[in-house]
Parts: sequence; structure tokens; C-alpha cells
Amino acid sequence: MKHDVDQYFETVLGITRDAGKIIKEGIARTKNVDTKLGSWDLVTQYDRRVENVLMKEISKKFPSHKFIAEETNAEQKATPELTNAPTWIIDPIDGTTNFVHGFHLTCISIALSIEKEVVIGIIYNPILDQLFTAIKGQGAHLNNQRINASQVEELCKSMVCLESSFACIPSLKDSIMKRTEACVKVAHGIRVLGSAALALCYVAMGVAEAYHIDGLQCWDVAAGALIVREAGGIVLDSTGGTFDMMSHRILACGTKKLAEELVILFKKADASIIKININNG
Amino acid sequence: MTEDLDECYDVIVKLSKKGGQLIHERIWSQKSVQFKSCEVDLVTETDQEVEKLLISSLKSKFPGHKFIGEESTAAGIKCELTDYPTWIIDPVDGTMNFVHGYPNVCVSVALWVDKVAEIGIIYNPVLELFFSARRGQGAFLNGKPIHVSQENDLSKSLIGYEFGTSRDPEKMKVVMENMNILTPLVHGVRSTGSCAQNMAMVALGGTDANFEYGIHAWDIAAGYLIVTEAGGVVIDPAGGPFDVLSRRYLCACSQDLADQLVTIIKQHYPERD
Repeated sequence: MKHDVDQYFETVLGITRDAGKIIKEGIARTKNVDTKLGSWDLVTQYDRRVENVLMKEISKKFPSHKFIAEETNAEQKATPELTNAPTWIIDPIDGTTNFVHGFHLTCISIALSIEKEVVIGIIYNPILDQLFTAIKGQGAHLNNQRINASQVEELCKSMVCLESSFACIPSLKDSIMKRTEACVKVAHGIRVLGSAALALCYVAMGVAEAYHIDGLQCWDVAAGALIVREAGGIVLDSTGGTFDMMSHRILACGTKKLAEELVILFKKADASIIKININNG
Repeated sequence: MTEDLDECYDVIVKLSKKGGQLIHERIWSQKSVQFKSCEVDLVTETDQEVEKLLISSLKSKFPGHKFIGEESTAAGIKCELTDYPTWIIDPVDGTMNFVHGYPNVCVSVALWVDKVAEIGIIYNPVLELFFSARRGQGAFLNGKPIHVSQENDLSKSLIGYEFGTSRDPEKMKVVMENMNILTPLVHGVRSTGSCAQNMAMVALGGTDANFEYGIHAWDIAAGYLIVTEAGGVVIDPAGGPFDVLSRRYLCACSQDLADQLVTIIKQHYPERD
């Protein structure tokens, strides 16, 4: 079946911009908060509202398209399954912790996958009015200006974005702390944003050289990974293998050399945990 | 001595915007970078130019005033805060960010008179965030009043936290220890790379607390006033009163939250400014 990707893009861009108004309206107000998967992962009434609007409006225009969306997925307690059908992969509010605190790094992240390949990525932060976009083969843009990933190849000259506060999840704590410490000792600086989508956009813009996180879902990274690649950057599995957005592991860098250096650094950091456990055990 | 603080404020608002404009023009162009105390403590020609612009204009307007500025304070010379009206200036807070084009860069300027903070400005010209405060008159972002959050539950708090620009092993050990202590106890940790912006975020209510060791008077002199005028507290991280030359601070939305942090964090004592 032939797909008019440009038409899909233009239509959903407008829908996303409109949905962004809901985030803007909500950020300063008191919200009801339910907890899901522990206190670090929140759902708010705005999350659901944004997702419902996106799915409803896209379904009106493209009734045959499918969805993998964060809140719907949580309610149905389903494991997301990606098929060949055109599928919109949606995180209605990425950076929900930031959102509930009124911290300005929060966004809608929406990607379109066709035949299991992501061809559209849109990330919109309505608080700072930053619209990051990519269509496969057409480059990456911020507010319609072309953006390019950094060409820096050495970690000692790099700014690295991490989600170090994910260390509150017991199964991830040791790995995150060791990898963070390893980066702190070498890198120019570490930045913790609290939004995977926006951190990927910073790599695509070239203002940070790398972003890494293990433990996220496909809707957190699908759009951002395309935007990084279209900006000339590289996206891998954090073990160094091929990136699979369903795998929960991502390492995005401006250059291959930097990615290779970080993969080795992470392996050494993880090995030091095993050593400690053996010595203690 | 009586100062016309209104005049001081009008002048510094205009100058901060001018300095900010220079930063905004240059953040995404080539820079010449030099190292200060180590390979992650940087300075650019823009730092030096913005500081010169601020100090020379303020000197000509207010000849009796004193200055404590990051780039004009020679290494090893102790800072002195007297009763004289003193401008405490960081021309580019977040120089590492500036070098990378990362948007968290601020002009931070404060006026202290009789050792009391009277005026505080933190201006991020890349994100267009102009934070300001006058003693007794509240705190503002882009002209709109701001207030700290109401969060007293540590487990629900968002903490501003930095890994720092020092390679001193003792300091780095404390930084990682505190990270280990905090992450299971708080809602989240955020690193912006700019001390002034971190303090402004507490004043805005976007984060609930923030502390750091090893920063300087020019990083915190404005943030101190903006946070307190926004209803927050600024103390020494061990629980005592704030000392602007101590190179240590802890700011929070409330004394209650500040006290909770004081009881759990490890301390580090750098040499005073």
C-alpha cells in the first residue's frame, strides 16, 4: 500500500500543536496524581487527556492506522506489539515528573512506524515552544531550522545527558550509579533532564554529545531516535548492538567514535559491580 | 549611606539585558576557550567581555560602588564583602553550557548594601527567562510574580543537583555519595549545569530544593535574594545561616524540607572565597 508520509506528517503536526495547549494549561495547576509502577512514574489526568485527543483526531483522519500509546497500554496492561501496519507511537506527556512539578522540560512525543520502520518523529515542548521534527530522509529540524548532531568524538570533550535519578528503581540502581560515576570522571559535564525525548533532541541539536538510558519504553524514544539519526547522529543499543526501540535500551551520540567509547565505559562500569558483588557475596 | 536603589535597579536591568544579548548572539558560534582551575573549569572571551561591560558601565554610573566579579577576581586573592554597595557578578553562569551551546546560561548580578542583598537578577537570554527581586518586594519571572512550591514531603520533591566542575577526588566522592543517598528518597534529581538557574528554578517552584558545594559568591548572591523573596529559605547545608562567601548553600521551598535534607546529606568544605 502506498503511503503519503508527507500528508501524515502535516496532519499530525497540526493535531500535536493543538494538543500542546492542554499541557500548557495544566502545567501550573494542581493535578490529581495516581501512581503507576512506583512513585517515579506518574500518570496525570492531563496525560490521559492529551493521549485521548491525539488518538481521536488521528483516527478521524486515518481510520486504518494503529496506536501504541503509553496510557492506553497501561490501562490494558498489555505488552506493546509492533506490526507492519502504520502505527502511531505516542507518549502524550514525556517528562511527567517535570510536568507535575511545573519544571519546563516536558513534551509530546509522537512517531509513525510503517512496516516496523519509524518514518516520522515529532517532539513538541509547548512551554518553550520548541518543535523538533524529522521525516525519514529529510533531515531533522527545530522550529523549521535544520539541526545537526555534534561532531565531537571524545568523551573528555562531551556533555552527556543521563537519567541518573532512575537509580531510585532498585534493579537499576547499581548500574546507573556506576555508569554515572564513570562518566562524571571523564566527561565535560553531565546533565539530567527528566525527559528522554527532549534529551534526544538536545543530542540532535548538537548541544549535548550523548544520551543514554536503560529502562524506558518504545514511546519514550521512537520519535527522538529518528530525529537524532536524521540530524546525522547515531543510535545504538547501550551494549553496542543494533538499536531496537522495543528493547528498553538506548545510547544516542553525535558520532560513532563517542558511542564506542561509551559502550566500553559502560561495560567496565557494569563489570565493577559484578566484582563488588562477588567480593561481598 | 543612602543609595538610590530604584536607579541601581533600572540601570542593572538594562545592562543585564545587554549582556544577555551578547550571550544569545554568540552561544551557537565559534568560541575561544581557556581552562581555569582544571579541564572542566572553563572561561571564554564572552565571559570576560560581558563582565567588562557590566563593571565599566556600573563604575561610571556609581563611582563609589565596589565589585566582586568572577573574571576580575584574581585566583588566590580572598574576596571581601564590606558595607559598601557591592555588585556581585557572574557574567556567564554555566560557561560549560555556553561552550556546548546548551541553553542553560545566565547572567547573574546582585547588589548587596551593608552586607544585605538588595537587588538580584538572573537572566537566561537563550530561554528568555528574566528572574528579578528587590528586597521586600517579592520575586518575578518576566514581570510576573513567582513563588516557591509547597512541597514538604521529601519523597515527592524534585531536587536540583550538580556533579560540578571540580576534579578534586574528595569533592567528587561527596558528590557521588549524596547522589546515592538522595535518589531512592526523592521524586527526582535534575542537573541544569547552571547554579543560578538551579536557584531560580526553586524560586519558580519548578524544583523544591537545591544545594551545592564549591560554587562561588557570584553564583549565589542573586539567587539568595530571588529564592527568599519567592518565599523560600537559603541556609548553610549543615543547617546554620547562609554565608555568601562560604562556597556552600542549600535552598528550599521551606525550612521543613531544608531540615530534612540537612539531616541526610554529606558535607564538603571548600576553601572560602
